[in-house]
Amino acid sequence: MKPPRSILFYTQLTFTLLVCAFLIVPVVQSVLAGLTENFMVGVKSGLTLRWFGQVWNLYRDTIFLSILIALACLAATLVLGVPAAYAMVKKQNRWTRLFEELLVTPLAVPGLAIALALIINYGGFTGFRKSWAFIWVGHVIFTLPFMVRSAVAVMNAVNLREFEEGAASLGAGFWRRFFQIVIPNAMPGILAGSLMVFTLSIGEFNLTWMLHTPLTKTLPVGLADSYASMRLEIGSAYTIVFFLMIIPLLMAMQWVAKPHKRKFVMEKPDHFLTPTGGSVMKPAIAAPAFPDNKEARRTMSGTSLRLVNCAKTFLDGTCALLSFNLEVRSGETVVILGPSGCGKTTLLRIIAGLESPDSGGKVFFGDEDVTHVPIEKRNVGMVFQNYALFPNMTVAENIAYGLKVRGIKSDKRARRVSEMLDMMKIGELRNRRIDQLSGGQKQRVALARALAARPRVLLLDEPLTALDAKLRDLLRVEIDVLLRSLGITAIYVTHDQSEAMALGDRIVVMNIARVVQEGAPREIYFEPRTRFVAEFIGTINRLKGRLLRGRLVLPGGSIPLPESYAVQTGENVQLELFFRPEHAVLAEPGQGHLRAAVVASFFMGDRTRLILDGSGDDYLTIETKGIHSFQKGQQVEVSIDPDALLRLDA
Amino acid sequence: MRQRNNGRLLAMFIPAIAVFMAFFLLPLARLAVTSALGPAGVKIYLAAIITPRYLESLVYTILLSVGVTILTLIISGIAGVFLTRNDFRGKRLLVSLLTFPLAFPGVVVGFMIILLVGRQGLIGDITQWVSGEKLVLAYSMTGLFLGYLYFSIPRTITTLMASAEKMDRNLEEAARSLGASPWRVVKDVLIPALLPGLISAGAICFATSMGAFGTAFTLATNIDVFPIVIYTEFTLMANISMAAALSIVLGLITWIALSVARAAAGDTIAAAG
Repeated sequence: MKPPRSILFYTQLTFTLLVCAFLIVPVVQSVLAGLTENFMVGVKSGLTLRWFGQVWNLYRDTIFLSILIALACLAATLVLGVPAAYAMVKKQNRWTRLFEELLVTPLAVPGLAIALALIINYGGFTGFRKSWAFIWVGHVIFTLPFMVRSAVAVMNAVNLREFEEGAASLGAGFWRRFFQIVIPNAMPGILAGSLMVFTLSIGEFNLTWMLHTPLTKTLPVGLADSYASMRLEIGSAYTIVFFLMIIPLLMAMQWVAKPHKRKFVMEKPDHFLTPTGGSVMKPAIAAPAFPDNKEARRTMSGTSLRLVNCAKTFLDGTCALLSFNLEVRSGETVVILGPSGCGKTTLLRIIAGLESPDSGGKVFFGDEDVTHVPIEKRNVGMVFQNYALFPNMTVAENIAYGLKVRGIKSDKRARRVSEMLDMMKIGELRNRRIDQLSGGQKQRVALARALAARPRVLLLDEPLTALDAKLRDLLRVEIDVLLRSLGITAIYVTHDQSEAMALGDRIVVMNIARVVQEGAPREIYFEPRTRFVAEFIGTINRLKGRLLRGRLVLPGGSIPLPESYAVQTGENVQLELFFRPEHAVLAEPGQGHLRAAVVASFFMGDRTRLILDGSGDDYLTIETKGIHSFQKGQQVEVSIDPDALLRLDA
Repeated sequence: MRQRNNGRLLAMFIPAIAVFMAFFLLPLARLAVTSALGPAGVKIYLAAIITPRYLESLVYTILLSVGVTILTLIISGIAGVFLTRNDFRGKRLLVSLLTFPLAFPGVVVGFMIILLVGRQGLIGDITQWVSGEKLVLAYSMTGLFLGYLYFSIPRTITTLMASAEKMDRNLEEAARSLGASPWRVVKDVLIPALLPGLISAGAICFATSMGAFGTAFTLATNIDVFPIVIYTEFTLMANISMAAALSIVLGLITWIALSVARAAAGDTIAAAG
């Protein structure tokens, strides 16, 4: 049941209806007047269409001229406005902003003044002055801002940069990107702008009245003429003609402006795409789909990679990346791990060719120096954080895009697309549009698209960040299986340490624009070089105590230390040591190293995480198996494996 | 690579700039020069402002535009907020009807006013039937005022509906949860939230009214609005330099109005169109 409307509602409705009546009643009157024999007498004088005949005889030229000028004006604003809009969106600097400002000034200057200016300047060119092109020029100046604005707005809204980078990573050059990616995706804005331009041009009067000659009368000029010199019925019939011309335009404009919510089709939720069953996760992507095709496999394996002295300073002076070197073996998976803003994405973009390193830096694919090779020529495959799938193409067209750019014949292309669809187990999505895909499906399509053209290096920029936790786990396993079976060289950027541990042959940990440690996952985990690394990867506990007779003495007890500590540091000194939660266990009373009180306990199903107080400044985090429950304040004893204690730089 | 892309982007930019320079900036510069080349020289601007005929027209036009702007904002604000806030059958049609006159040239607007309040108009018929006396407003200041309202309301409603759409409903609900009366909600939450939209829509409304030519031209009232004065000066008096000077005065006024509003409302005015 809907609640009853309030009095306020009806008052406002009445008010709005009155406003509407003010606007629409004269329209209805003019329609009636144009159809009646004699408006003074009223409808009872009879209905007729003869006024239209007269309008046709007197003014048909104005109708055609208006349409001609509007079409010419539309053509001009498209050719001038759309590329200019693109340049403004791409290149945002003082000059483009200044021009954007200038471009909208015709809206602030009255049409009369513009027309006067045009007449004073160009009135002497008689041929031009007498032709319809004179009116056309005025209309172009007046309508260009509308086209540019409309195109700029949509180009800013659709995240053009991401789509363009996606296309470039698949090998598309500048003009191809402009016509195949930019224009189709900016289409709603361009269409809205076009309708606006056309409608404005059809109805323009202020400029046109000044610019027209007796031989170049447009529809509104004709209307003014008929209102002044013809009987009311003819003027009305002529106005009806004008209404009939603009109504379809206005309806089209409303239709374009309306957000088109497409039906979201998803047969099964992501989690059921694979028979996970909950216990054992069996990846959907099992083995490469081309086991019999040795050649395909070989070309997949990719190249080795070398970065020398690569640094990146942005134009505003911020240093995104300090100079560093990196070598990646052919077929290796390297994970770049770090908190957001550490420069890891910049690093990936340098490898991709989306950013160039500061001078002196070099990027090698195998032995080839690709430092100055743009991304579209590097033959890399890239998976973007938000996938950058082209909304103007189907799934199959997206996957085929890189092949199409490379001029692969259509039958070969279709075969490869099918291979990729099978490999990713998404055959049934072939003809879907991108907005009909779920997150996990998009992820698979993005991978398929990146791999379709057999890239030398696969680059993944936080590919799982946009997904929910459970799906992330599932897809992580899938990506792992995929990378191992393809044997492709892969660089994977993430801020999630569990992804890094699971996927990487090698992990490069970054913090504040520099590499802080690189090594195999185990090495990074068990032998972190700094406290940052230790804390970023997993949980670490700090013990702050004093070294006394071979033991680390803390408020809650003491821990025996290996002999090397005494030799290195001497007696009775302050010492800070670290250990991972799994290197401590709860001990029977009297058997442990430390006594501590439970601050909090988190039951996690298979284990319980305890936060303990008893070792001084910091709380300790340890994990215990079993089914015990703990009370706050309960006293426990903890044993720590002395060999697992770490000394770390701050 | 980057240099090459820069070159291409520049190439995409140049045609628009060239056309814009040739057919807008250059002619406007020429207009300014022309105005000062008459017998009076630069002093023509003084004449353009202090000559009683021009000054009177300018003051009238400004008063008319300000009045129209204020009334339009009130009417469109009420209707626009109402339409964004409520859903009812036929709303889409109502919005379409309210925005239909958006595409009318000034001459058609003038004609609509003639049909509504002219000698053969509906209001005239009704008043004659009610009181025996025909009310004809079309050719007076009132008629002009109605005409300006007629073309201003549709534009302003669309702009204000767009800003009302963006408004955070929670703010209003929060105010009500704190005990604010409907009037206080309007005053403390609604109007401040709509303010940028109101300023930008108001500025556009004012600028359009200042430059409107077709409506006054059709109504052929005895009051000369400023654009009609310019037109008369140019066509009938052939006083080109005075027409140019007056155009520049008019252009400056509308440009300043829009710039001030833009500074006050932030970037929203660019989006308001």
